[in-house]
Amino acid sequence: MIQELLGNLAFGLSVALTFENILFCFIGCVIGTAIGVLPGIGPVATISLLLPITFGQPATTAIIMLAGIYYGSQYGGSTTAILLNLPGEVSAVVTTIEGYKMARRGRAGAALATAAIGSFFAGTVATIFVAASGPLLTEVALSFGPADYFSLMLLGLIISAVLAQGSVMKAIGMVTVGVSLGLVGTDVQTGQQRFTFGVPELSDGLSFASLAMGLFGISEIILNLERPESRNALSSKVGSLWLTKAEWKRAIPSILRGTMLGSALGILPGGGAALSAFGSYMMERRLSKYKHEFGTGAIEGVAGPESANNAASQTSFIPLLTLGIPGNAVMALMVGALIIQGIQPGPRMVEAQPELFWGLIASMWVGNLMLLVINLPMIGIWVKLLQVPYKFMYPSILVFIAIGSYSINNNVFDVYQVLAFGILGYLFSKLRMEPAPLLIGFVLGPMMEEHLRRAMLLSRGDVLVFVERPISATLLAIAALALITMLLPNIRKKKDAALAE
Amino acid sequence: MKINTKDLLAGGIFILLAIIGLWLNTDHTLGDARRMGPGYMPMLAFLVLGGLGIAVIVAGLFSGPDPLASWTRLEMLAVPIGIVTFFLGYYASEATGLFTGWYSLGWGALAGCLGLSVAPGWRPVGLVHAGLAVFGLMLEDLGLMASIAGCTAVAALAETQHRVKGVIGMILFLAVLCYLVFIAYLDIRVPVWPVFLTQ
Repeated sequence: MIQELLGNLAFGLSVALTFENILFCFIGCVIGTAIGVLPGIGPVATISLLLPITFGQPATTAIIMLAGIYYGSQYGGSTTAILLNLPGEVSAVVTTIEGYKMARRGRAGAALATAAIGSFFAGTVATIFVAASGPLLTEVALSFGPADYFSLMLLGLIISAVLAQGSVMKAIGMVTVGVSLGLVGTDVQTGQQRFTFGVPELSDGLSFASLAMGLFGISEIILNLERPESRNALSSKVGSLWLTKAEWKRAIPSILRGTMLGSALGILPGGGAALSAFGSYMMERRLSKYKHEFGTGAIEGVAGPESANNAASQTSFIPLLTLGIPGNAVMALMVGALIIQGIQPGPRMVEAQPELFWGLIASMWVGNLMLLVINLPMIGIWVKLLQVPYKFMYPSILVFIAIGSYSINNNVFDVYQVLAFGILGYLFSKLRMEPAPLLIGFVLGPMMEEHLRRAMLLSRGDVLVFVERPISATLLAIAALALITMLLPNIRKKKDAALAE
Repeated sequence: MKINTKDLLAGGIFILLAIIGLWLNTDHTLGDARRMGPGYMPMLAFLVLGGLGIAVIVAGLFSGPDPLASWTRLEMLAVPIGIVTFFLGYYASEATGLFTGWYSLGWGALAGCLGLSVAPGWRPVGLVHAGLAVFGLMLEDLGLMASIAGCTAVAALAETQHRVKGVIGMILFLAVLCYLVFIAYLDIRVPVWPVFLTQ
């Protein structure tokens, strides 16, 4: 078992260490760090922006680069959180609490080093975790029938909605809107055109990249323009990057705990980086011997959450790689990227695409090593990047979106789709309707329909098949439980408080 | 009052989408549960959506107050103006008979976005989208470089602090960058310079 794992990892490294893959992993990590540093542009928007650029690459290279952007952004987000009290990413919000206080006390360097080392350690452990659990889960997944798959997707959708911010019912509504938008196009089984209004461009469905760019990229630009720019001055000199012995002693247990928590929460649908960072902070505050220091710059409050968010961003690949089910919006984009490359994500990927599966996992570790190098010695450069005013950034993002969306099909219609989804996304944000569940629904919708049809055909139209099969029944029970608990007012209040930064 | 206006509107949108969807879905054969036709899954999805819309509205009557940001009179007025100018632009472009393909949609979108921008509060959303429309209208005839310039210039109007020099510098920078990335490296199939110059 161990030997097999090592053999697989060695194979993965041989893929990840080809010149092209190293290069694109590096590019991904650099871009990821940059967007992590810059507030106002998140990983979802950036990945959707860069999707068209990756289409020309082989699938493995493309996914390696996109993955680098994702975990790179978790690294970069903490830099500005510590130095400027400005979280570059949602997942770094927690880091501002203790990290910025540490910087004010003159320990900015130590905080940055803790974050980087914690992230690296967590990334390494999580990578091994992904490598070990991937094949096991894949075997389980292969015994799934269509009914089980349908229930699993339903569970994924419901949990992603439950964990979204704000009203659960609205989030499920958004999932359903996503599923409905996913129905546009040719029906796979009969070839009939659905909701296409006779537009030939729509027979392949709405453009996934345009949808993501409009809902996330464009509406993000506009919301940032509406908000007046506010920037805190650099609080202090970075100072020594080395930790004192006492600091090491306090940070190490937190890093271990954060890694474990993050690895576990990352697998959950809808979980991911932000949730685990917050969970880890709460845990550290409860467990630490230095409770009284929390709020004044306790190193545990940096070490734990930073390890947790990075671990989670790696393990959130597990459901995608083994079941083909995206747990959050970034993973939904990965599914989109794979499908455009002609690869159906799912349990058969390990066998059918071993170089993609193992290459990606090995590249995660390579990427984490790169990030350590990119981040610590080059912090000055990243802080400089913050001085580029947003008024110069947004037209660049817009032009990239415009060209990128056009280049997918060489069709102006895709640019107008971005325009339509941009306005829709703006409307959604004004009404506090979360776009992330919509994106996940859009990706899962067509797969759900296929599995539903197959399951019902096999059961001769008997709906009870979903509760008669033990796997399916268990999954549905979990979904129902999650839904009921969240509809109880008490727990909902706690969740809202937890998610309200 | 505990009315949550945002939720009421959100629920309304869900119900509206569900009704439109169910109506459009009458074109598709439903089939039965055993052999589902192309219309079966849409029917399920839109019924669920409609139900959720009702639930969101009912819950929204008690979960507030969460009012919308107050709009000025001009902002209220700009929304119907935008919709009207969209159709005006679309049909005017159709009527000239000069344009084929998606140009009419582009003209409509541009007119709509500019119409929305009469209200200062809508300028970010209006002008950023107008930039996209300009890009779409210019790309296939005037080429990539001109479209970058047009898109950037229009979108720059959305931010009042832009100066002419800064915008020109940004256009030059973006033109070089996009040439390197999209033409030199990715080699996408798009006219770079105006078609009437190269032909």
